[in-house]
Amino acid sequence: MTQTTGNTFRKVNTVLHRDLGYFFAALILAYSLSGIALNHVDEWNPDFIISKNEIELKGSYKKNDISPELIRDFSAKAGESSYRLYDFPSSRQVKIYYKDATLMVDLEKGEGLYEKISRRPVFYQVNVLHRNSVDWWKWASDVFAAMLIIITITGLLMLRGPNGFSGRGKWFFGAGFIPPIIALVFQQL
Amino acid sequence: MRLHRSLSRTLVFAFLCLSALSCAPEQPENSERKTSVKKKTGVLLLNHGSRSERWRENFVKLEKNVAEKVLSIEGIDGIQTVFMEHASPSIADGLKAYDREGYSDIIVIPIFLTIGSHMFDDIPTIIGMKENPASMEKLKLEGIERYIPNAKTHLAPPLDYPDILKTNALRRTLALSKNTEKEGVVLVGYGSTAFDAQWTELFENVGSYVCEKSGISDFTIAWCGHIAHYSPDSTTAAIHRILEKNKRALVLPLLVSSSEQFQIEIIGGGIAAVTDHQSRVRYKPDAILPDPDLEQWIVDTAEQYAAEIMESNETRQVSAPD
Repeated sequence: MTQTTGNTFRKVNTVLHRDLGYFFAALILAYSLSGIALNHVDEWNPDFIISKNEIELKGSYKKNDISPELIRDFSAKAGESSYRLYDFPSSRQVKIYYKDATLMVDLEKGEGLYEKISRRPVFYQVNVLHRNSVDWWKWASDVFAAMLIIITITGLLMLRGPNGFSGRGKWFFGAGFIPPIIALVFQQL
Repeated sequence: MRLHRSLSRTLVFAFLCLSALSCAPEQPENSERKTSVKKKTGVLLLNHGSRSERWRENFVKLEKNVAEKVLSIEGIDGIQTVFMEHASPSIADGLKAYDREGYSDIIVIPIFLTIGSHMFDDIPTIIGMKENPASMEKLKLEGIERYIPNAKTHLAPPLDYPDILKTNALRRTLALSKNTEKEGVVLVGYGSTAFDAQWTELFENVGSYVCEKSGISDFTIAWCGHIAHYSPDSTTAAIHRILEKNKRALVLPLLVSSSEQFQIEIIGGGIAAVTDHQSRVRYKPDAILPDPDLEQWIVDTAEQYAAEIMESNETRQVSAPD
């Protein structure tokens, strides 16, 4: 490779790394944030905030006692002025539906669990992207993944000399393989 | 010349008459068609769905096995299999197809074990019978289309009502068993966080029946679904409970169909974690399907709903004002 060709290659490499980095910065941050959120999906709900409130209904009831008036009484205790529908998951339970909440009543115990659902700000939106919940987004996501590969390769080739890939770079590059290899070895044990 | 002109006029007149007749709207063959609305009922066999081809194949075969009997039921004109998620056609696809073909009623038969969030809230929300706020949000997030059909939907109950599960579990247990006196059974199911009591009760009923009929003294329950975080640990723990008192554990997946994720990775993984599992655990990665009793249950359910639909139609026609 002549010096002129080499200089042109490096210039293109740097421009690609810089401009793709700028362009995809928002998406990289969004996916990273969502990645952390979805990693802990068993410990919390990354998409929704579900506020729960236990309600005492005083007394026990039977399925046959349930009437629209009684449903309105239960609803009032949960702070709801009107309901959309009610249904019986079993003979000892009734579930009442509201616009963005539900009330599950244990008729025998006379206890209710009121649950209100709302979207977790920022996390909901980034998770929509990460989960490809928008149909065509998977293609955009593929392009993003290809661009991440380019950003990574251009990053590896950016510097020359002792701080470049052929210098200390190759050691750090090799060290980066260690954590996933350890994880895979543990998985096989 | 005059003859020629009169012939031309006659021909033009005849052409105009024919044109007028062909452009006129079609008349019904008889006046009865105008007054009686023809009911057209379709059956939608609905299952959870999976990315696994094995899962899908079981349901395609199920439809093939019941189609002839279901379509011979008076009043039923169509049958389709649809998947709630991870496979196509979706529930919305099935409902739209029936709408396009002018169906008036759709019998939705869910091939689900028992009540759970999908059965009680998600499916009724997808087909427009409910608007459960949590389901609405979840469906949007998971890209599951909600479609309210023009046709009237009739949602049948899940499988736990008849004795299908008991006889199915007994048949499969006996096929696995070598010596019932030294064995205990592990029933592995999907489970439900919201309806844990109902699931536990159903599995306890099935387990008790299997023990009573087979002579096996012990059974226990393990979950492999969301409630168990899709982990093999619940299966491993259940096998250990059985092996404390018995020489061998028979592991039975009480799942409607087979998938690599559940029967192989989760349940198989749970078995592999047991020391000397090769000699002390007997397992076949099968499922409730295929089962002739389940096929008959579908036919019976379709028949029952078709009769109700026809009866309601007759009642409506009799009581309808002129």
